[in-house]
Amino acid sequence: MRDQLLPILEAYGKKREALIPVLQKVQGELGYLPEEAISEIAHFLGISTSQIYGVASFYAQFRFERQGEHTIKVCQGTACHVRGGRRIMATVAQELGIQPGGTTEDYKFSLERVACFGSCALAPVMVVDNTVYGRMTTVKARQILSRYMQEPQANE
Amino acid sequence: MSNSMVEKNDSANRPSSQTLLVCKGTGCIAGGSDNIYNALQREVESAGLRNVKVDFVGCHGFCQRGPIVDIEPEGYFYTEVQVEDVAEIVRSHLVEGRPVERLFYHDLVTNEPIPLYHNVPFYEKQHRIILRNCGHINPERIDDYLAAGGYQGIRKALLEMTPEQVIEEIRKSGIRGRGGAGASTAFKWEACRRSPGNEKYLICNADEGDPGAFMDRSILEADPHSLLEGMLVAGYAIGANQGYIYCRAEYPLAIHRLEIALEQMKEHGLLGDNILDSGFKFQINIKEGAGAFVCGEETALMMSIEGSRGMPRPRPPFPADSGLWGKPSNINNVKTLVSSCRIIEDGADSFASIGTEKSKGTAVFALTGKTRNSGLIEVPMGMPLADIIFDIGGGIIGGKRFKAVQTGGPSGGCLPANMLDLPVDYESLAQAGSIMGSGGMVVTDEDTCMVDLAKFFIAFTQDESCGKCVPCRVGTKQMLTILERITEGKGQPGDIDLLEKLAQTIKATSLCALGGTAPNPVLTTIRYFREEYEEHINKNYCRAGVCGKLVKSPCQNACPAGIDVPRYIRLIGDGKFDEAVAVIREKVPFPTVLGYVCVHFCEAKCRRGQLEEAVAIKELKRFAAERDKGLWKQNSKILSPTGKKVAVVGSGPAGLTAAFYLAKLGHSVTVFEALPVAGGMMRVGIPRYRLPAEVLDKEIKEIEDFGVEIKLNTRIDSTDDLFAQGYNAIFIGIGAHRGTNMGIEGEDTPGIIDGADFLREVSLGNEVKIGDKVGVIGGGNVAIDASRTALRLGAKEVTILYRRTRAEMPASPEEIEEAIREGVNIVYLATPVTASRVNGRLNVESIRMQLGRVDQSGRRRPEPMEGSEFTEEYDTMIKAIGQESVTPDGFGVDVGRGGRIQVDDDTLAASREGIFAGGDVVTGPASVIEAIADGRQAAIAIDKYLGGEGDIDEVLAPVEEVPKYVAPEIEGEQYRPEVNTMPLEKRLSCFDLVELGFDEDKGIEETTRCLRCDLEER
Repeated sequence: MRDQLLPILEAYGKKREALIPVLQKVQGELGYLPEEAISEIAHFLGISTSQIYGVASFYAQFRFERQGEHTIKVCQGTACHVRGGRRIMATVAQELGIQPGGTTEDYKFSLERVACFGSCALAPVMVVDNTVYGRMTTVKARQILSRYMQEPQANE
Repeated sequence: MSNSMVEKNDSANRPSSQTLLVCKGTGCIAGGSDNIYNALQREVESAGLRNVKVDFVGCHGFCQRGPIVDIEPEGYFYTEVQVEDVAEIVRSHLVEGRPVERLFYHDLVTNEPIPLYHNVPFYEKQHRIILRNCGHINPERIDDYLAAGGYQGIRKALLEMTPEQVIEEIRKSGIRGRGGAGASTAFKWEACRRSPGNEKYLICNADEGDPGAFMDRSILEADPHSLLEGMLVAGYAIGANQGYIYCRAEYPLAIHRLEIALEQMKEHGLLGDNILDSGFKFQINIKEGAGAFVCGEETALMMSIEGSRGMPRPRPPFPADSGLWGKPSNINNVKTLVSSCRIIEDGADSFASIGTEKSKGTAVFALTGKTRNSGLIEVPMGMPLADIIFDIGGGIIGGKRFKAVQTGGPSGGCLPANMLDLPVDYESLAQAGSIMGSGGMVVTDEDTCMVDLAKFFIAFTQDESCGKCVPCRVGTKQMLTILERITEGKGQPGDIDLLEKLAQTIKATSLCALGGTAPNPVLTTIRYFREEYEEHINKNYCRAGVCGKLVKSPCQNACPAGIDVPRYIRLIGDGKFDEAVAVIREKVPFPTVLGYVCVHFCEAKCRRGQLEEAVAIKELKRFAAERDKGLWKQNSKILSPTGKKVAVVGSGPAGLTAAFYLAKLGHSVTVFEALPVAGGMMRVGIPRYRLPAEVLDKEIKEIEDFGVEIKLNTRIDSTDDLFAQGYNAIFIGIGAHRGTNMGIEGEDTPGIIDGADFLREVSLGNEVKIGDKVGVIGGGNVAIDASRTALRLGAKEVTILYRRTRAEMPASPEEIEEAIREGVNIVYLATPVTASRVNGRLNVESIRMQLGRVDQSGRRRPEPMEGSEFTEEYDTMIKAIGQESVTPDGFGVDVGRGGRIQVDDDTLAASREGIFAGGDVVTGPASVIEAIADGRQAAIAIDKYLGGEGDIDEVLAPVEEVPKYVAPEIEGEQYRPEVNTMPLEKRLSCFDLVELGFDEDKGIEETTRCLRCDLEER
């Protein structure tokens, strides 16, 4: 773990200011923030792990559990809400069998709600990893999900 | 690097003969523009078009119509382009010179194609200063920005002005912060400049956390250098050497483009230790947000940059005195910085000449929600909301009614239709209870529940509350809890006052603007939409059909009588027509009549309508009713006689329904009808080719079979007389039968007759001579009925004059269709002015109208066009612009405008004890189903008045286990089957029924289109 994280930590330096960017980069690499990583960061920056948890847990972006291979974010912003975003979320949750914030047992999918992607003219919006899908309907949501489901699972 | 890099650089970037510009903003990329770009490059190359370049640009702002491809230099604007269209665009437009019309934007009214960008109404009415370059330059190429005049502003500032002069120019422009609070930008810069010390920070707030706002994202993706130049200007002015851009992580493309731009700046000597050889030093770093709305608040934002929890702190000290790491700092929004750059470049006067006295310049809005055109727009401050929503936004999708516009995101407020004239500026919006905010503008329609929307916003701010101060942390939670109760049907009297009190406290005592503004959506929805709150609390009713726990299905919710639509549709699908009718009759005594003529509020809310078209609920009602064998009678009860007598005045749907239910409750009911026939408007308003006499007769007979006595040819003028005859209660349902006057000169000219009178005379079998050429004034069902009746009486030419457009005609769309098919001419936007007799003929002078400003009903007000008068001769002119009631003084009840009887909202009790009223005499001309619903409501109230329970609920259909339902996958589109109609040639010679209903198999198939919304989890 240390070998993996050291390049990131050294690039940002031993500054308190570096904490959030480091957490973002580490999560980008590992998919989430395991306890071990937090310890390493604490050690490097000279801050206690509880302080780091205090900061990380404040922000919605950070995850402390292993995430699925694909992250599905369904927008619940105003324009999407007014255009039926709730129904899209309900459909996706039902198809995957998990609630927002959860991950499927096979670690294939994680589901999140996001307040706004800024693609309001395409409401309702769903984002899978980095791909934005606009003008969603419940039918389209199911079609998109089944496409991802049919992919072979990525190797560990 | 030398200054020459920054000089205007036209020659190197002069466009080749044509350039295809593919939009690569987040929205268009979502639509596949990356693939379109690649495909265009391949096609252009393989077609050997040497003079054609393919390039990409950033967000145009019209994301709804993306992917967008522009062709310069002409400015052709292609919308909703797919990869499959690429070959055609290259071959047809570029090679053969024939543009692909179907991909152009089409006018929303005329459907005419509009090929060029600057003619598209969405852009035509904008004033793009901040967004000037967006969609026109490649955001990843600094040379494009330079060629467009980029970095001239900072050049001028660094080489020709002192920092104080820069601030003075900003002050002269009058610009106020575009992040939402609207503080004077010059004031903030001055304060920071004056602070002692030489370590200062300039921070750009690109967090843009408001849901529904994406202005900053688009600017960063389309024209990052404008922001960066603005930061240089601001940094120079305040004396800072380090800048930060705090950009939310949800905007990866924006961050990517900023990173590229920063590299390019360094290469061109625009960042670093000696910018443009002026000695000015500046560095810019990007900090990504990590998903906290509160970090859009400046003190929380600075905490986040420092690496801490993003929790605000009290001010003073203000950032200008003590900001990032305790040093003087200045935070500005993206649009403020871009504007500042333009102000230095073009001069303050240019900026100050736009907008209003206190709100200078332009504002950028993200116009989204239910508008037909949605996207980013830039307009001068002071433009009225109506112009933005209707002229630029194109009005509401699907012709639905505008309900409210939300400005300022979760910190703002919801403004109703009667505020559409409001100019968009800081003060006007604040006075109305909203705020300008960062620019989010979400438009809602009749299908949005305002209580649900308030709950939505509070849920958001509650979730995003940092938790530091009690008023926000606890207060928003309490407000949310109350709103949740209300939307679940558990609202209590006093809840509204409690919400207001909580709101005031939270606003006054919260630490930062998150808490300080979180109650605004709740306060404005209570202020402007209080009835919706009251309906949720007092009647467990959600009129928009949104709140899951209150709405079994949108169709049933929309029905004034609450008919269990999904259940009867399902029974029809199972072939159980008897039981379907029994379900309908649990709520109304006129299933067949309604199946012929109901205005079907249910269909307007049918969710299937969001796919292809609504289920044919009305037609299916008729379908079942015509196959009914009377199963409903087995369970239909009559209670034992109560000894009470009720008089019902008027045998229309309201009166007959009230009579029916009162008779079933055991009262002795007599209906008094002035005409020789019973049925009210069902008989004398609706022509026989729409509703055959036998159908109506049969359903009235069913009512009489329950003991209701109908006395025809008996006019009632006095309620005293009725009471004297021993009646214990009276229901008045005399309707609205007298035609309203047009208010024109020559109103009484012979030859002008009233529409309702005309229809009544014809239905009574009296001869009415109308001649060959007939004119009809009006746009409602009476006008349509009168015109189709006139044709059947032998008129050769029938013309309707309506003062608005077809989209606004109140008549049922299917009726308008049939009228046109039968040969009725409709002249829109015309209204009569004077009538007279000339040489023995009726002459009517009319004037043409044009649609002007949107008025408080949310519709454009028609205005006469000077000099457009025209005169026509007619044999007869039928006026059908509305009806009033004639309520005799002898009724002894309070009467309002138009003869309408004033009643209590719940009990329908009139001002005199023992008298109740309902139907058109209370509401003005409405519909059969609404009158029936009033009849039910009155029966309940009258029974209670007479000492009963007021319980008219009954179970007529056998109680059943609802079978498990597995929703079938919807493959492709499925529309309604054709309704059989009488052939056109046969129609006009008789009054026989025109619509003949569904074939049996088609009717049953239609029921499969129902989405079974009643089974939705709540």
